[in-house]
Amino acid sequence: MFPYILNKSFYGLLVMLGIVVVVFFLFNILPADPARMTMGQRSDVQSLEAVRKELGLDKPMPVQFALFLNDVSPIGLHGTDSVSRAKYHYQQLFKVGKDEAIVLKWPYLRRSYQTKKEVSEILRETIPNTLILAVTAMVFASVIGIALGVVSAIKKDSWIDKASIGFSIIGISAPSFFAGIIIAWLFGFVLSDYTGLNMSGSLHNYDPFKGEVLTLKNLWLPMITLGLRPLAIIVQLTRSSMLDVLAMDYIRTARAKGLSNYSVVLKHALRNALNPVVTAISGWFASLIAGSFFIEYIFGYNGLGKATVDALGLADFPVVMGSILFCGFIFVVLNILVDVLYGVLDPRVRVR
Amino acid sequence: MSTKILEVKNLYTHFKTEDGWVTAVKDINFSLNQGEVIGIVGESGSGKSVTSLSIMQLIAKANGRNEGEIWFTEEGRSINLLTLSEEQIREYRGNKIAMIFQEPMTSLNPVYTLGDQVAEAIRLHQRVDKTTARQKTIELFNEVQLPRAEQLFDAYPHQVSGGQKQRVMIAMALSCNPQLLIADEPTTALDVTVQKTIIELLKKLKNDRGMSMIFISHDLGLVSEISDKVVVMYKGKVMEQGDAAQVFHRPQHPYTKGLLACRPAANLQLKKLPTVADFMLVDGNGAITETATDINNLDNAFGFKPDERENRKKKLYKQKPLLKLKEVQTWFPVKQGVFGKVKDYVKAVDDISFDVYPGETLGLVGESGCGKTTLGRSILRLVEPTGGTILFEGRDLRRLSNEQMRELRKDVQIIFQDPYSSLNPRLTVGSSIMEPMQVHKVFNNDRERKARVLELLRRVGLKDEHFNRYPHEFSGGQRQRICIARALALNPKFIICDESVSALDVSVQAQVLNLLIELREEFNLTYIFISHDLSVVKFISDRMVVMNKGRIEEMGDPDQIYNHPQKEYTKRLIDAIPKGKLLKV
Repeated sequence: MFPYILNKSFYGLLVMLGIVVVVFFLFNILPADPARMTMGQRSDVQSLEAVRKELGLDKPMPVQFALFLNDVSPIGLHGTDSVSRAKYHYQQLFKVGKDEAIVLKWPYLRRSYQTKKEVSEILRETIPNTLILAVTAMVFASVIGIALGVVSAIKKDSWIDKASIGFSIIGISAPSFFAGIIIAWLFGFVLSDYTGLNMSGSLHNYDPFKGEVLTLKNLWLPMITLGLRPLAIIVQLTRSSMLDVLAMDYIRTARAKGLSNYSVVLKHALRNALNPVVTAISGWFASLIAGSFFIEYIFGYNGLGKATVDALGLADFPVVMGSILFCGFIFVVLNILVDVLYGVLDPRVRVR
Repeated sequence: MSTKILEVKNLYTHFKTEDGWVTAVKDINFSLNQGEVIGIVGESGSGKSVTSLSIMQLIAKANGRNEGEIWFTEEGRSINLLTLSEEQIREYRGNKIAMIFQEPMTSLNPVYTLGDQVAEAIRLHQRVDKTTARQKTIELFNEVQLPRAEQLFDAYPHQVSGGQKQRVMIAMALSCNPQLLIADEPTTALDVTVQKTIIELLKKLKNDRGMSMIFISHDLGLVSEISDKVVVMYKGKVMEQGDAAQVFHRPQHPYTKGLLACRPAANLQLKKLPTVADFMLVDGNGAITETATDINNLDNAFGFKPDERENRKKKLYKQKPLLKLKEVQTWFPVKQGVFGKVKDYVKAVDDISFDVYPGETLGLVGESGCGKTTLGRSILRLVEPTGGTILFEGRDLRRLSNEQMRELRKDVQIIFQDPYSSLNPRLTVGSSIMEPMQVHKVFNNDRERKARVLELLRRVGLKDEHFNRYPHEFSGGQRQRICIARALALNPKFIICDESVSALDVSVQAQVLNLLIELREEFNLTYIFISHDLSVVKFISDRMVVMNKGRIEEMGDPDQIYNHPQKEYTKRLIDAIPKGKLLKV
């Protein structure tokens, strides 16, 4: 198993490098001047030049790329002076030359042009909110989806089955931004007297008296919207895989043993039927983080997605680049995890 | 006087289909005494499995319905199983009535260990704790003669062989000391030698425990080895029933006669096999009329004319060989460690040499795992041989480039074992047969190709309208005919039949074997016929090769080998053929 994981991790690293290359060159051919973005519209030529020099924009493209790579890499070569120290918060590994060192650090994603905040700090503030949204959406989708799928497989051709198929077809075909607007309007506006929910809002809000408060009810609508599509797919996947498994010979064997329907389904059928579903769920999780971009924007939910879309509007490229790199990283890590998980679930996949 | 344990009275089973209710089983009556074995025989679709599932009440309530009475007697009390609720019948299932199924490969749940699955049944019906259940399971494993019972408890189904899985199924069925054991084609998916050991095990267990048994099979010869009574079923109805010896020695119904005669008999040399159709005619209303065929004198109608075989052999072996194998080897490396260092080789095919003459059928027989299939595939280079030479019409196949090999594949074809999985379910039968012609650019356009396909379909006994149908609409025998038509599409000289009839019922097997022989004469085909069943190989082959562990054990005239086997291994294969209480002709 270990060489297998090592192998996968190496490929993951290559994919990350590819993402870094694409992201860097993509944002360097865009027609926006970072120096002007940083200084604002009214700035004199001297200041602009100074900023350009500081950001390294006066250097040739390959050098800029090397600097960028050095910044985002967890192992990099940096100066030992106090300015560098404060900038990179690094752990020195060993010295190279007089005043440079190979260091271990968190990837340095530079600073926002607009707020001058470090990008990693912006990410650190917003990522937990997005993770909460994605995880709850996934839990919501899996629990309801698997339950509905199992019930409709057992009660095939009943009204429950037909209703859940109909529902899941709608769920699959409705685009999330459209579903989001409808859900926000229906539950946050038309029915808000009964639901008590808002059309938009963040997980953390500032109350003039109490300070920062956790507003969990603002999670409901974005969570449902985000979970809708995976839910629909999980229902169908569980249903069809369950129907396949229920027709297997070993289910007949289990019934011939005299087991009750309940334990035949839960013990013998479900575990076999869940294999493809689990793979799908873990695969979906990564794209949920990407999917949350629309949803957060529509519901004004303060997560990574909203921060990125806002930054994109302001051409605040370091923030956008940082968030893309982070999403890429999540995708790569989850894919490795899925491969490992598959082996754990199915004894036939286990190596020796 | 033994007591009656099971009595089936006027049993009907109906199924709901898209065209309304269909009756699968009509008016079944039979009874079974304590300690007796009753055999239910019939081809697939005859309703024999439906009958047994009805006894267990395993017909899904949503789309199936039973009528009639099934009386089960225990301790002097009789209960009609059909009147029991789902809750009540569960007390009987696996406890008083147990069942073994046809497919040991798929009848065990792949994600639980063998031991857990058996222990589950014990804990369910006997309310014992985990350790006791484990102890009992291991005892049962020993009783069904599984090796290393302790280790097998924690093994998963994919780690053991088919025969061992069937033993686990038997252990599971026996776990609660059932009074009645229903064995539904328990050996059909297994090799003849494994089949023999399983039959012997079942007989022994039955005698030791005084169980009653229902033994279901399509093979009359096999049923006769184990049963006291026999029920012969055809299209959901009982054709004939009675004492086993009686039915076998003096079959009354033409269908029974057909079933008896269609299995290649080891002691007869027939030119073609009798089929059920030779004994009875069925008209459009399903009424059966008997023909004049005499089961006691098959030699006349189906045997060879005097000198016919000798002349054929003389002619065959005068020619130059079509295929020459010299010391062919196919070794698979066994790798170990992270760097995949080759530790050892599995010698699947080891130094095989023989010639095949044009128009000949060479039979290749052996247990599963003996390397016969690998040899067949190595000849076609579907598996790359690792040594030796394969000369086809004087050309060394191992030296041909991929391009040349593709050219050559026109002349050599293969028909596989499983007609269910060797046809693409998404392609119509017509396009499946046409595809090889398109690949090799035979004929100028699809219209001409279609005409050829229709001709082939008719030749293998199918109809023109089958061209646009999909594989799932056909029975196993019909599918194998489609596979044969596909193999013939390119006018090959040489065909490898890899267990081509092993998945078929004996009655269908006879039809397909006859077809293969007719085609051999008509198109001057050369076959290598691979099978684990020596009686089938003996019937169809001019020469026979017995393989064991990748090597040739014996080679020569099939009758010679059958009557005077030189090796212990060959004797074992011959011994394993179910002979039953078959007719002495």
